Amino acid sequence: MKILAHGLTKDYGNNRAVNGIDLSVDNEVYGLLGPNGSGKTTTVSMLTTLMRPTAGSAVICGHDIATEQSAVRECMSYVPQDMAVDIRMTGRENVDFFARLYGIRDRHERRRRVEDALEIMNLSDRADDLTKGYSGGMRRRLELAQALVHQPEVLFLDEPTVGLDVAARRSIWEYIVNLKNHGVTIFVTTHQMDEAERYCDRVGILKKGDLVNEGVPSDLTSQMKSVITIRTDSHAPLKELPEGVALVRDENGEIMVTSDNGSESLPAMLALLNDEGIKVYSSTVREPTLEDVYLQSVGKMNSDSDGFNQKQFENMMRRR
Amino acid sequence: MYRALAYVRRDIIRWSRAPMNVLSTLAMPCAWLLFMGLVMPVEWDGNYLDYVTPSILVMTVMTAGLSGGSSLMFDKMLGYLNKFLAMPAPRESILAGKIMFITIRGLLQATVILVISILIGATILSPLAYLEMYLILFMFGVFFSSLGTTVALYLGNHDSYAAFQSFVSMPLYFASTALVSYDMMPTWLFWIAKLNPLSYAIDATRAAAAGSFPLMEMSILLVLSVCMVLLCGRKFRKATMK
Ligand SMILES: Nc1ncnc2c1ncn2[C@@H]1O[C@H](COP(=O)(O)OP(=O)(O)OP(=O)(O)O)[C@@H](O)[C@H]1O
Ligand SMILES: [Mg+2]
Repeated sequence: MKILAHGLTKDYGNNRAVNGIDLSVDNEVYGLLGPNGSGKTTTVSMLTTLMRPTAGSAVICGHDIATEQSAVRECMSYVPQDMAVDIRMTGRENVDFFARLYGIRDRHERRRRVEDALEIMNLSDRADDLTKGYSGGMRRRLELAQALVHQPEVLFLDEPTVGLDVAARRSIWEYIVNLKNHGVTIFVTTHQMDEAERYCDRVGILKKGDLVNEGVPSDLTSQMKSVITIRTDSHAPLKELPEGVALVRDENGEIMVTSDNGSESLPAMLALLNDEGIKVYSSTVREPTLEDVYLQSVGKMNSDSDGFNQKQFENMMRRR
Repeated sequence: MYRALAYVRRDIIRWSRAPMNVLSTLAMPCAWLLFMGLVMPVEWDGNYLDYVTPSILVMTVMTAGLSGGSSLMFDKMLGYLNKFLAMPAPRESILAGKIMFITIRGLLQATVILVISILIGATILSPLAYLEMYLILFMFGVFFSSLGTTVALYLGNHDSYAAFQSFVSMPLYFASTALVSYDMMPTWLFWIAKLNPLSYAIDATRAAAAGSFPLMEMSILLVLSVCMVLLCGRKFRKATMK
């Protein structure tokens, strides 16, 4: 295991930001999900030795984060949430600076590693421009290049795609998956459920400092039900339902049901309606996504938006 | 040391790419020098420029040290520091690099002032005297850059630090032997000037320029700068260990 954590806890004064979480991450892309203020950055800060845990312990590449800090830093790289590249230096200078900080003294070795990192992140042709002129996506890639000159075993990324456009997001994720395929363990936090579902091997969901759900995205979604919606010409209520299908609503010819397996239940539903001589206008199946898992895990309105009264909001919505 | 130099290198590149910064930090001491050396038609035994140049060198180094104080704070605010702290390099090298950079920058600026002073008529000294002067300026630079860095880390935001900077530098300068000698001061100013670290540096620089070796002042400066560096290191560890 590259990352092992036991009961990792962090208090800020009386506020418990991370509440005794356990993690075990091997060579994979592990996504830590959670609303604003749920403790993602705090968790990463502890794992990267930037903060001491209040309680609990963690081991990165076999080194304890409390007692072997420099060994931990030796085997990992960290790209924080807030972007920071030196805008008055060129891309190459930025990466070279990090290579020096990582202690690569040999000039040829350093040059080779810098060029490689720039090449991997597809920045070679703009490497001599000041980063002032870089787009957000390029700056993020430059930060990844800075992290890569170190050739880390574990890479921590705190919201790497925030503020980037669709194409830039996708390219960042493709680089991430590619790194994983080359043996780098990736620990990434994100708000983007669709991205996590697509690119993470496993995800953990944080809610107010608690790890409330964890697993392979497809396993998590398969525990959720699919939603089938059918519009018919019949206003009479349905008499029976196929096995494994639960009724949500049946009003004015619109039937909404949930089922463990939407793609099997839909034909069964259609056959049943056909037998009863009901005409079907349209039918849709919506398979559950990680977003549904996430919303179910953390509650719909569960970020630290203070002063927001969910009950009142729901009542308000109901009256309409 | 290698890592500390990498930080110095980075700061020098960034500094040299901002010509306005370079010019604006030099403008003030240049103005003083030209004003004092050329315009002030005072009665003075000998060359007033020779009297005032050491104090302007010291002022240059002090201004550079104080203005550099916010540099580490900015690295922290802008998120660079978090990256540096997660690296295998010893954390002290971040601070060492910063103090080194600010001091080197101050000495470079002092050199420009020195050259200008010679161009407008200051006496050229012996190499040994210059060596002594640079040693003094170096210790003084270390003192003020670590003082500035400590205060900036303590205040934690740019506005209060800017206030501190202007609040501190002018009074320190006037309440010292920068412009007038001890025997021309009223008693109250005499005592303030006697306690002012700026006076030590100025007196020592003057003594060096005059060809003597100011052991007392230099030892005091050495002790002061070592204490300040230790204090700064403590503040830095506190500010980075959460
Ligand atoms: N330095 C700090 N001092 C005090 N409280 C803090 C500090 N940093 C974070 N917190 C609190 O700890 C909790 C977790 O914050 P954290 O930054 O880890 O959340 P996050 O999941 O990264 O949020 P986001 O998605 O907004 O980045 C929040 O309630 C936050 O207010
Ligand atoms: Mg965060």
